[in-house]
Amino acid sequence: MRNRFILLFIAMLVLVTSLMYATRDYIIIGTTDKIRSLDPARCYDYFSSNILQNVLSGFVDYEIGTTNLKPWLAEKWEISNDGKVYTFYLRKDATFEDGTPITAQVMKYSFDRVIKLNGDPAFLLSDIVDKTEVVDKYVFRVYLKYPFSAFLSVLGYTVAYPVNPKVYPEDSFYELAPSASGPYRIKEWIRDVRIVLEANPKYFGEKPKTKTIIINFYENASTLRLALETGEIDVAYRDLDPRDILEIEKDPRFVVYKGESPQIRYIVFNVKQKPFDDPNVRTGLAYAVDRNMIANEVFVGLVKPLYSMVPMGMWSHEDVFPKRDLEKAKEYLSQAGYDENNPLKIDFWYTPTHYGSTEADVAQIIKESLEETGVIKVTIKYAEWATYVDYFLNGTMGMFLLGWYPDYLDPDDYVWPFLSISGAKSLGSFYENQEVENLMVEARKSSDVEERTKIYKKVQEILVKDKPYVPLWQGVAICIAKPEIKGIVLEPTQIFRYYTLYSK
Amino acid sequence: MSLKNYILTRIFLAIPMIIILLAFIFLILRIIPGDPVLAMLGGKAPKEVIEQKRHELGLDKPLVVQFLNYFFGLFKGDFGKSTLTGRPVLDELKERFPATVELTLFAFIIAILIGIFGGTEAAKQKDKAPDVLARFFAIFMYAIPIFWLGLMFQLLFGVTLRWLPVAGRLSPAIQFKPITGLYIIDSLITGNWKAFVDVIKHLLMPGTALGLVISSIFLRMVRNNMVLVLSKDFIKAAIARGIENKNVLYKHALKNALVPIMTVMGLQLALLLAGAVLTETTFSWPGLGSYLVLKIRYRDFPAIQGAVVFFAIIVVIISIFVDIINAIVDPRVRY
Repeated sequence: MRNRFILLFIAMLVLVTSLMYATRDYIIIGTTDKIRSLDPARCYDYFSSNILQNVLSGFVDYEIGTTNLKPWLAEKWEISNDGKVYTFYLRKDATFEDGTPITAQVMKYSFDRVIKLNGDPAFLLSDIVDKTEVVDKYVFRVYLKYPFSAFLSVLGYTVAYPVNPKVYPEDSFYELAPSASGPYRIKEWIRDVRIVLEANPKYFGEKPKTKTIIINFYENASTLRLALETGEIDVAYRDLDPRDILEIEKDPRFVVYKGESPQIRYIVFNVKQKPFDDPNVRTGLAYAVDRNMIANEVFVGLVKPLYSMVPMGMWSHEDVFPKRDLEKAKEYLSQAGYDENNPLKIDFWYTPTHYGSTEADVAQIIKESLEETGVIKVTIKYAEWATYVDYFLNGTMGMFLLGWYPDYLDPDDYVWPFLSISGAKSLGSFYENQEVENLMVEARKSSDVEERTKIYKKVQEILVKDKPYVPLWQGVAICIAKPEIKGIVLEPTQIFRYYTLYSK
Repeated sequence: MSLKNYILTRIFLAIPMIIILLAFIFLILRIIPGDPVLAMLGGKAPKEVIEQKRHELGLDKPLVVQFLNYFFGLFKGDFGKSTLTGRPVLDELKERFPATVELTLFAFIIAILIGIFGGTEAAKQKDKAPDVLARFFAIFMYAIPIFWLGLMFQLLFGVTLRWLPVAGRLSPAIQFKPITGLYIIDSLITGNWKAFVDVIKHLLMPGTALGLVISSIFLRMVRNNMVLVLSKDFIKAAIARGIENKNVLYKHALKNALVPIMTVMGLQLALLLAGAVLTETTFSWPGLGSYLVLKIRYRDFPAIQGAVVFFAIIVVIISIFVDIINAIVDPRVRY
């Protein structure tokens, strides 16, 4: 009798455990990021966008693993000859999770709403879009203020994703979970604790490979790592400490994925402030900076040195900036009147938390590499982000570190914000050059990639001649997962697609 | 002064205190360089957009107008909207507060248990081994930074032994619906035993770490006060009357020793309810402490102000409460 009970018990145990494993239809992702807002009219930070990219759908999407645009809600589109009118033909089977069809009217409602509410990302549309028009139930037209060849890339960003008019009010932001139109819907959302995504049965596209995705939020990189070590999460995405990553790489319990990142880091010179108003000084400093040292020492080889503002892997990129050369650096500095007896004394600024904990080390290495010339004396200064922004906008800082994360994937977003007169003002370089401005406007008008490539090459040549910025390195996207988790693609677009993930 | 008058006076005195505090925080936030719009859009949006946003948030108005707007809003229960998330600050505080309450109460119970029993026993055996040990423990715990203790706990119980989860309030895969926000209570109401066990497991490490650190303060105070009280004549009289040792210790001596300690405990509780910043960040505990850290980083004025006013009200309420209890226990306080 007793034996039978034990047998029964063991059988139950086996059954329960096998059921537990067989029904593991969820994957747990851990992150240190936060969700700020899931309203496309307000959402303007990486992680919120990333959630929206998995629960909503837009006009266009990127082909998996590339930066090539492909139709999504828009089946096809036409661009007028003058490049100012875009007509979109929408697919007819797309709906929100409550069954509301996604029509041209919905598109117009969403576009107009973004512009009217004027949230953080609204300028991406309001700067370009003149007006919108419903041509037919499934035909939507946008009139631009000026020809803008990167417009389709802008539509790839969440700001242009349609929202459900029955859920999102016209005159205020909506701060609850969105009405889904993408591969997933939001099943549960406890702010700053976790968000649970579940396959959206109404989605018109391919079904997700894993039914449920749970995203758990952590306060800092060390707890995220501990959660990974203890097996609480299957995937850690954004952000672990570079040195932690190096250790985890040796650990057979995990797989480290590395992908391209469109984030670039650079030094800004305020070209109106002495001594940085002298091109020889800027050139001298550009020659002295040691990018390899930063990449290897601070980021343990995870990031790549960058020699243009247009990132590597993007069309038109050229390595225009010179490699490190201390002799050349001294030469230019002596032309500017500095030598061992009369060294160049400069303040160099960084901000300690906004770009992660590595920033102070970066500043220190730059200081050392500049001082190696023997003719530069660097004083490192720092300010918290909010203060830092204030300082660079009003021209307080002459030389400082900054980073850029693109709003749309096009070389335009790597040159216009930096080299246009208005853009340079909002980045604190105060650079003004009408010639380069005209070139960039010309490139915006053309939709011919070859022609635009030629123009952007010229732009990069002017960039290196004037050096209002010195590119330093290009970021890397890192994701760590248990070996049984498959389907992780670190996209050059930075879209992290949960619907391709599965557990083996 | 009658007890009623005393209570009313205390409450009236608290109001100007909160107003002064509010004005102070309001000014400090605006004097330091950097503003919320810049922190959010800096370097991205064109200057005109930034100006327009500042206008929308009323940041271009004179300071006095901004302050009065905010101040009168508070009376209507309007703490303003977070510039970071756009949600009403009060809603965000309500979401975060239960997490802090749960952690605080848990830690507090541990601290009181260790403090009172440890302190009493130490006093009883003054200068003997247990007393020396207790004093050493108190100093040691007081000196340890809580984030370090937290990290060691995480390494030992989380990573090495795998007994306890390292962070958060709930395991990701546990099905759970918060009702009151106090997860222990929520899981009990819904009869969700799996969640209940999970919540307790999550609470153990941060609660114990925090409790141990605070217990050091209590332990030393209880011990010193008990040593003092135990040397008094009425204790000797009680012992002489043949009252059981345990009774003398816990009924007669402890009661008298606790009067001054209550004030300290009350204020400590108030401070903890305002968020144990380091504990919360170490254990990714989504309470008020980690909330404040996040909001300060983004210069989220309304949220920081809201949180501080909220803290101030808690501290004031609890300190009034403690004063009243003291006044009841020890009538001399009232005069």
